[in-house]
Amino acid sequence: MAKYTCKRLLQSLLTVLIVVTIVFLLLRLLPTDYYFTEEQLNKLTEAQKLEILQAAGLTDPIWKQLLSFYNDILHFDFGTSRRISSGIAVVDLIGSKFGLSMRLGCVALIFSLCLGVPVGLFQAYFKGKVFDGIGTAYTIFMNAVPSIVSYSLVMVFGARVLKLPTLYSVTKPVISAVMPVFCMSMGATAGYMLWTRRYVVDELNKDYIKLAKMTGMSQKTILIRHVLKNAFVPMAQYLPASFLSTVSGSLLAEKFFSVPGMGPLLADAIGRYDTPVVQTLVIIYASMGVLGVFLGDVLMTLIDPRIRITGKGDVG
Amino acid sequence: MDTKELEKKYGKTESELFSFAEYHPEEAEKTGYSNYSYWGSVVRNFLKNKPAVIMCVIFLAIFIFSFFALKIGKYDYTDLRVDNKLKFTSPNAEFWFGTDNLGRDYWCQVWYATQISIKLAAVVAVGEAVLGIIIGLIWGYIRSLDRIITEIYNLISNVPMIIYMTLIALMIGQSFFIMAVSMTAFGWLNMARNVRNLVIMYRDREYNLVSRCLGTKVSRILTKNILPYLVSVIIMRLTMSIPGTIGFESTLSYLGLGLDVNTPSLGILLRNSRSYFLDYPYTLFFPAIIVSLVTITFYLAGSAVADACDPRNHV
Repeated sequence: MAKYTCKRLLQSLLTVLIVVTIVFLLLRLLPTDYYFTEEQLNKLTEAQKLEILQAAGLTDPIWKQLLSFYNDILHFDFGTSRRISSGIAVVDLIGSKFGLSMRLGCVALIFSLCLGVPVGLFQAYFKGKVFDGIGTAYTIFMNAVPSIVSYSLVMVFGARVLKLPTLYSVTKPVISAVMPVFCMSMGATAGYMLWTRRYVVDELNKDYIKLAKMTGMSQKTILIRHVLKNAFVPMAQYLPASFLSTVSGSLLAEKFFSVPGMGPLLADAIGRYDTPVVQTLVIIYASMGVLGVFLGDVLMTLIDPRIRITGKGDVG
Repeated sequence: MDTKELEKKYGKTESELFSFAEYHPEEAEKTGYSNYSYWGSVVRNFLKNKPAVIMCVIFLAIFIFSFFALKIGKYDYTDLRVDNKLKFTSPNAEFWFGTDNLGRDYWCQVWYATQISIKLAAVVAVGEAVLGIIIGLIWGYIRSLDRIITEIYNLISNVPMIIYMTLIALMIGQSFFIMAVSMTAFGWLNMARNVRNLVIMYRDREYNLVSRCLGTKVSRILTKNILPYLVSVIIMRLTMSIPGTIGFESTLSYLGLGLDVNTPSLGILLRNSRSYFLDYPYTLFFPAIIVSLVTITFYLAGSAVADACDPRNHV
């Protein structure tokens, strides 16, 4: 196991490295005009532009830029942001945004887990009844309809009926976070409901449940101690990944409610040619993606000792 | 029950009730033959699922109606004029869906956008399916390529999709064609992975071993021996990808990375309405209702078709 873990971690590191390199190269494909603001573009002469680019090292050959980039990373120097908030170290910029995203994400995650799993369990238990039907309708709606529609509907309802603020504001961090958090958890709740219901239904049809029923065990004990525990195993695989992606902020929800979190940062940074921010964010996202899959496998083996990870690489 | 009661029950005499069957050699041959046809059963199974049929009809009705709607509307999409006096007119006899923030008729915009969105989703779904199936088959069947394609898959799927889409929008531009191509280019991953996992399952079954020993060409094994098993999964993915594409397109449009402003899609309308739907809710409700109807009906009808395609559900 230890050997396998080491190998797997090394492989993940390599993947992250390659991904970052690809993104680095892709960013260098953008026309250099993006480096300047519109004002600068109009004012500066070609020679001045070239001078600035040379000073920033953007006219060096690609391999040289790449090497200095690796060198910086090895010294944990992620550069300073140029446009998003100029002059501030990228680490500080992302750190401040990450804190907010993480707080909102954690609340949303806890909410959706606490709601989604029990509702899914009851849906499976009352399979084919009205309760199950309502739950299924909800999951279908959330899965099929674009989230921008459901967010808009929540916003209209929240603003008109509940009089909640529509935009996040730092002065009222709790009340103005209600709608974004609710929106973030809506989709995740539907996901947990769907998975729990499916696995619990699978589990309920198995022979050992019939045996448990015959021995006269109460329904509650069967459901919680046996069914849920077993149904949780396949779900465990996805939990860390979903945890990491929730914590790192939801792109659409944060943009929609103007939450100054990490979600929309990436698209912003690319659009404004803030390369240090983009590169750092990609390192974070790629590591999280790889880490999520890895932790999922580990969690699954911890919960169910029957499962052994073999060395054979496989895609889920 | 004795014979008397039987005769009483059916109103026939004993000799009428029990007679010898005649022997027809041709008829006897036919018992070994079943008139099972795969697509026939698919259609029959699908038609049995009444809600799904209704959903399918609603979906088609919306799509077909969008053409009529553009014809019967009082304004034509191509010559909409900006008229600030008319802005935010609530729905009335002249403007059936009201007007937008520039005083342009909303009815024709909504229906035109519906067509664009469905068209984009259909093109992307088909493109993804073709690319995904081809890559998935190769990925699953040819062992020596498995490692390489797996690594490529991991690399592409580890970079957030938003990076590709932003770079494409900035570097190449925004249009229907670019959007369709780029969404296809990064959307085949799921289809390919599903196909690959199934191909691995069926690749080394005995019948395929025998087929290979008998010298069947690889292309024939893939298309005739393996592909039919994948039909239901492929259709499942294909139909799920349409609501997915509409959703993704609306997210991209919301971020300003979607289609250009001159080709409205439902996503663009929803994004525009974001700034004023609190005061003029109808600008949200019309596109929202249509987008929900299109995606939900397609989602349900799609999963019913996928169920009907699964040979295990055939009698």
